[in-house]
This record gives sequence, structure tokens and C-alpha cells, in this order.
Amino acid sequence: MKVTSVALAVVFTSCGLATTAAAQTIPSEPVTLGDGRVVIGGDVAVSFAPEDESYFNYSSYDHNTLRELRLGMTALVRATERISLLGELRTENADTISPYGLYARIRPFPKRRFDVQIGRIPPTFGRFPRQAYSRDNPLIGYPLAYQYLTSLRANALPATADDLLRMRGRGWLSSFNVGDTTPEHGVPLVNSLSWDTGIQVTHGWDLLTVTGAVTTGSVSNPRVSEDNGGKQIATRAEVRPLAGLVIGSSFARGEFVSRHAASAAGARDASFDQRADGLDLEYSRSHWLLRGDAVLSRWHVPMVGDTASVSGGMSTHAPAYVAALRALALSVEGRYTFLPGAYAAARVEHLGFNRITGSRGPQEWDAPVKRVEIGGGYYLQRNLVARVSWQHNDRETSRFNRGRYVSGQLLFWF
Amino acid sequence: MRATIRLVTLVMLVGIGTTLRWTTAAQTPGTGSIRGRVDIRRTIAPPERRPGITDLGNPVPRDVPDLRAAVVYLETAPARAFEDRRSPRGRIDQRNETFVPHVLAITTGTLVDFPNNDSTYHNVFSLSKTRRFDLGRYAKGRSGTVRFDTPGIVRVFCDIHSHMSAWVLVFSHPFFATTDTDGRYRIDGVPPGTYSVSAWYEGSNRETRSITISPQGGAVDLDFVVQ
Repeated sequence: MKVTSVALAVVFTSCGLATTAAAQTIPSEPVTLGDGRVVIGGDVAVSFAPEDESYFNYSSYDHNTLRELRLGMTALVRATERISLLGELRTENADTISPYGLYARIRPFPKRRFDVQIGRIPPTFGRFPRQAYSRDNPLIGYPLAYQYLTSLRANALPATADDLLRMRGRGWLSSFNVGDTTPEHGVPLVNSLSWDTGIQVTHGWDLLTVTGAVTTGSVSNPRVSEDNGGKQIATRAEVRPLAGLVIGSSFARGEFVSRHAASAAGARDASFDQRADGLDLEYSRSHWLLRGDAVLSRWHVPMVGDTASVSGGMSTHAPAYVAALRALALSVEGRYTFLPGAYAAARVEHLGFNRITGSRGPQEWDAPVKRVEIGGGYYLQRNLVARVSWQHNDRETSRFNRGRYVSGQLLFWF
Repeated sequence: MRATIRLVTLVMLVGIGTTLRWTTAAQTPGTGSIRGRVDIRRTIAPPERRPGITDLGNPVPRDVPDLRAAVVYLETAPARAFEDRRSPRGRIDQRNETFVPHVLAITTGTLVDFPNNDSTYHNVFSLSKTRRFDLGRYAKGRSGTVRFDTPGIVRVFCDIHSHMSAWVLVFSHPFFATTDTDGRYRIDGVPPGTYSVSAWYEGSNRETRSITISPQGGAVDLDFVVQ
């Protein structure tokens, strides 16, 4: 109810903004202060949709991404010619205001495209996480690889394959008996809504840009504070062989399972990682924009192998084996501008998992999901767009296996 | 019916006659000039890029648009001024993520080219009521063309680079001038009469003044100050 009220207030405010913007009384461009040393931008997104009773669109913040109010404010402070400070404050559904990004950007050699970023930095892996916030996402929903919650958790572990299979398709509230036994959401393949903490180095040439980063968490579970003593290494290479074509390749490997969960599984000094490989492609020409994205993630998770040896979240003996859990997400999307300020878009996706053997035989460790989203947008003014979309989801489970949603969104930015 | 045809024919003949006279108005004795300077005391800062919080590094350096140009024009032009039906051509370049020039003043019917001189894509568009268009994305060396048939103000943007913007001012008469780098302007060929003259700068009319061109013609000095 509170969310609805806030959302309505923002809609009315946005409509008011639209009217006054036409009269050039509100910023349509970023606000600059201190002779250009401080630049402030912002965005407001209000999304409407029916309840997602099958939890296809829930994010790691326990919000339905089709039904939320998001307010964000970004700032750039040019401290010196070589050093800038960047930050973003964001709130979703008016819960709390959090600094999602906060880092220093250093360009040691002003004439070279060589940058070092330190702090809570933007994701290195993949293309979508750096386009999630604004109009760059042509649809309202997020791609499965970057939003859909698998049943896997970093702070809780299944004791057996059967325990994991019991949670198939229940990533929005996953519960295991090793580690933290409190039911909680699982992790996506790549978390696009939360940023990791560390250092990132980027070097760009005419056709090629290469980035490397060392951070605290993993792509599934970005973190501010350490929880397992391990670091993640992430790399990305982006090639632009011709105008309009961008080919990106990403890799990340980091410790995934928390120290507490590993200890609870009897593996005190061992580490259990997540590896992810990504390939993405974007091609645009005239009024067309096409994108393709593939993400393969592998998690290594200790399995106690015997539920009877677990008590109070702790196992009495060492893991029987380490399970290799894989997930592959494929996505293709396109956008076509058919009139000035009006476009249509579509995305088709599949998320699949490898099979593990439980007491009932081999089965995918999480339920495969297919998603199709079709929509469009109309620019009421340059920085105010109204969007609608229809999304169809299929999940290979016996319950909560289908979700169809019509959603709307107003997005304003400056 | 015959009366209507005769009336239309008469109007067309008069129109052609006045158009022919009008195209040589600058050289016609008895017309005057309005000249002067627009003193922009407070230049508007060029739009910044949005803070690139999600970028992996600093963006490629870009040029900063020259925002010193103002446009001076007659609010009330002689009736025959509207009969000029030439279709000239204008040009706004896209260079180092900047539209050059930042302000283009044209007459109705003008075709404006938008060539891309950058190695990256640009996507020129406008959602202005006067002229709504979207040229799509095109690469270096290519160009898109838009014809402006309706008088008014058109704000032009790039869909890829939100800090890029330009103005196209479309007039139904030829009595306007864009200031040079010193703020100076000159409007020639103005027939005798009393006119309201306005100075436009970055989206709004800043000042309107009245002047009179005597029957003998000659130059009238008129300065503006934009605070």
C-alpha cells in the first residue's frame, strides 16, 4: 500500500515534471555546479504490473522488477585533472537510500585511455550490468542471466543432491540445512543490481578496450565486506571491428561460498568458487539495434552427502564431494524505432542447468526457465519515456510454472 | 467559378512578381539594413555528459559547443517576405560529439544535412512539434537530410550521446541573422517600415525592440544585451 502511494505520487510528480520540462524549468540535462567540477544526474523509474505470484521477476533485493519505484541520483566530482569521484545513491520502493556505487576514477596519464577505478565499482563482467539503469534497457524486465534467482546461496548449502533438487524453481525463498538455515533468496548467475568492491583497470585503444578487476565478492554475490577471504578476478575485452558492432567477452572467477557455510559443511580451509564466462554482441544500424548474450556460470559447492550428520546447520564431518553446478543463459533482443520517439522491442531467453543425480535419478539442479518479452516505448519528451511490455515465463516445475504479465513503466532522467 | 480562377491566377502572378523582386531585395535601392551586436553577458554552460557511473573509464574527450551564437530576427515582416519560395540547403555537422553549428537559422523549405564526421555512430532526432524526425544510426562519412517546412524552433539531439544538442530556427521570411563570434549581426534588404526586432538566445526570446526603416533606406544600429 505504501509502495502504491509512493508510486502514484511519483507518477503525478513525473507528469508535472513533463509539463514543466516543456517550459524548460526543470533539468533535462545534468545539473552542474562549481564551474563544471560537480555534475549531478538522476533517474526515476516507476513500474506497474500485477503481482508476480510465481516470482519470476524478483531480484536480489526481494523486489519485483516489474513493479517497483526506483529513484537514483549519480554524481561526478572532478577533484583534479586526473582524479574524479563518482557515486550513486539509489532507493527501491522507498525502502532505504544506499550508495550502490562509490569509487575514485584515476587517469594517471591524461592523454592515454588508461583508467584505474577503486571502491565500489561498476561490474566488469558482461554488457547488461552497465546498462541496467537507464533507457539502454529497451524493455521493462531484466534478462534472466542478470536477475533470475537460482536456488543457490553463498551462505547456505544443501547437504545432499536431494536437498538441492527440493529447491528447484524456488530461488526467491531458498532454504538449506547447512550454514544459515534461515530461508532467503538465492543468487542470479550475474547480479546486475549490486556492485562489487575492489580495483579495476581499463585500457582502451581504437578498436579494443580491455578491463581487469580484483574484487571482494563474486559475480553472483557482489560484496562490500569480505565473507570468505577470497578475491575475484574479472576481465572483459570489447572489440569494435566496425561502426555499430561491439563484441564483448568476459570472464570471472571468485570465491563463492562464505567461510561460515564452508565451515558448517566441514570444509574449514577449502575454497569453493564461481567461474563465469560471457560472450555478448551488439549490432546497430539505421533504426535497428540487435543484441545477443550468453553467460555460462559454474559453481563448486561442498556436499555433506548425509543429512543425518547435520545438526543446527553444522555438519559433523567433512564434505563427501564437491558438486559442480552449471547454468547457461542465452538471450537475444532487438529494438526497432518505427516513428520518431516510438519503438518496439522484444527479447527471447532461455536459462538451463546441468543435471545432478538424486534419489529419483538425474535431474537439472534448478528448473529451466524460458522467457519472452515484447514491448515498446514512446518518448513523451527526450528524457521521459512511457513503456509497456508483455512478458511470458515458463518454468519446468509442477507448481508456479507459468507467469504472464503486462507491465507499464514511466522513466525520467536528467 | 471563372471568378475564382481569375482570382487565383491574379494572386499567382502577383506572387511571382513579388518573389522575383524579393530575391534581389538586398540590392534594391530604398531598402535598409539592421545591424548591431548582441552582448551576451552570461553565456549558458554547455551541457555536460551525464555522470558515467557505469563506465569502465573516462569517456573519449569531446569538443565543447560554442554557445555564444544568438539569432536576431524581425517579429513582423512585410507580407511579401513570406512569398520567397527558394529551397536552400543547410548543414549541421556531427564532430567530436558536438553539433556544429550549435544554432542554425533557416527559411522554410530548407533541406538540412546532418553528416557524421565521427568514428562512432550518431543518431540525430528531434521530438519538437515543429519538426519531428529520427534519422537512425549511421556511420562516419554518411549523412541524413531533413526538410523543414514549418516555421518554429526545433531542438535537435543525438539518441546515443545525450549531451549533444543543437537548435534549428525555421523562419517563414528571410529577415534574420545569426551573430558571429563577436556577437555582431546584419540583416539586409529590409523594406521601409516599422518592425519589432527580437534577439533569441538558447531557447527563448531575450529582448524585443522596435525600429523604423525610413523610405530612403539606410542602416539602423540596434544592440541587444542578454543578461
